[in-house]
Amino acid sequence: MKRIIVEYEKCDGCKNCCAACMQAHRDTEGTIYDLDLADPKNESRNTILKDADGRYKPLFCRHCDEPECVKSCMSGALTKDPESGHVFYDETRCGSCFMCVMNCSFGVLKPDRVSKSKVVKCDFCVNAGGEPSCVASCPKKAIYVEEV
Amino acid sequence: MKYVIVGVGVAGIEAAREIRKKDTNGDILMISADAQIHSRCMLHKFIAGERDEEGLNFTELDFFEKYRIHWKSGVRAEKIRPDEKEIVLDDGEHVGYDKLLLANGADSFIPPVGELRKASNVYGLRNLTDAQAIVKEAESAKEVLVIGSGLVGLDAAYGLLERGKKLTIVEMAEQILPVQLDAHGAAAYQELFEKAGVRFVLGRKASEAVCEADGKIHKVTLDDGKELACDLLVVAAGVRPSLSGLEGSGIDCERGITVDARMRTSKEDIYAAGDITGRSGIWPNAADQGRVAGRNMCGAESEYTDTYALKNTINFFGLATLCVGRIKPEEGDVIRIKEDRTQYKRVILKDEKVEGVLLQGNIAHAGTWQYLIKNRIDVSKIAKDVFDISYADFYRLNERGEYKWA
Repeated sequence: MKRIIVEYEKCDGCKNCCAACMQAHRDTEGTIYDLDLADPKNESRNTILKDADGRYKPLFCRHCDEPECVKSCMSGALTKDPESGHVFYDETRCGSCFMCVMNCSFGVLKPDRVSKSKVVKCDFCVNAGGEPSCVASCPKKAIYVEEV
Repeated sequence: MKYVIVGVGVAGIEAAREIRKKDTNGDILMISADAQIHSRCMLHKFIAGERDEEGLNFTELDFFEKYRIHWKSGVRAEKIRPDEKEIVLDDGEHVGYDKLLLANGADSFIPPVGELRKASNVYGLRNLTDAQAIVKEAESAKEVLVIGSGLVGLDAAYGLLERGKKLTIVEMAEQILPVQLDAHGAAAYQELFEKAGVRFVLGRKASEAVCEADGKIHKVTLDDGKELACDLLVVAAGVRPSLSGLEGSGIDCERGITVDARMRTSKEDIYAAGDITGRSGIWPNAADQGRVAGRNMCGAESEYTDTYALKNTINFFGLATLCVGRIKPEEGDVIRIKEDRTQYKRVILKDEKVEGVLLQGNIAHAGTWQYLIKNRIDVSKIAKDVFDISYADFYRLNERGEYKWA
């Protein structure tokens, strides 16, 4: 399967990946120059955390080999695609219980800010041909796609 | 090899899936009282009219065809006969097995108060058939009484509110959701339900309820003598493992069926998983138990190890809550609270370890707490405020680019 590989040592915390993710998933037309960063509807699926020593640690969905989010999903909304290996989320099936948020021990998942009824989850930019926008936007090449 | 699985809840479904992965030719038969696969955690959405029966299905819609599984629905296992290696169904059929999994779940517990067990308008909320019956009874009922304000009681209330019913909830404890929340967190949900029209009677229990000529209970007397009128009752007082078919089988039971870490019962070739074991049956754990049972039934060695189950999420009216670990403070605890207009967070610390967390309003990225609590991580070693600790402080990637714990 294809996975976004992270070399956190190269990350300088610029959060271009977050802005690219918001842009890739916005529901209005436009370019990154008119993306409303303050609109709660625009949410990034990834983020960059800081550890106690101030180092940047990018937090990106791993589409795990054994995804705890899928295992805890009581509605069938989260599934691991047998072909691509990616974990996809079908919001029409989601029961909004957020057990996936609780069981992703890396803390990747979160409820959406507006409706509080959906999960904000990386879809590997499958609608844009499966080339993750975050990867294309990283100026440090700290993230890249690799077959694993 | 013939595998027989009783129950099409998540434990049974996951076991079947696992068996098919390991044994492509084996015969798999699933037997269930349920006529449809459904997620019990979504029954309130059916009552509310937000979803139909099919919308409650939690697995592939072509599950049985896809995994080449025979399914016999609408029947119960009445007898288990380990010496004959067969089970007897309530339609009289004898079904032989090489490996048997009992995953037939639990039944609603209706307390022996007055004539609650006899009345025709008293329901638990466990199965789709319960939800269907509640919806039907609700067509004519105006006033609904829910006994118990745990997650199931509130689910029932939520669903029936959408149908415009007048609702009263009686709770023995002094707060709602007493198992999951502290008083502060509970009050937030109480307020939301009250705004939606629910009346709560806290610190009281039902003491008398008599059937009238129509076979229904139309009023319940509480332990303070007060009477509550009702045409429909939902009793949400917990569940008990479904052990009724086990008499005479010789399978060891305590609270539920006794199993070892490989989900084996005391009888050879018989396994059990999910609520019937009386172990925590929260969804992810029941699913795990099912997978472990399925692997062992195929001859693999696999153990159920991630048994931690003191965890819950709650979501009503767009207010999400996550609670993991201990809820009740004890002497010697350090309690940390953080609150603003969008959220309430409370952590219980003991000996520098997080023993319990409650997050309400904002549960983004909160999955890390479960790891901290169940692995008893010493958080004093991390130079951060406890509320700021994240996976960044345990960050490690393996050669396949997966996250692991440092």
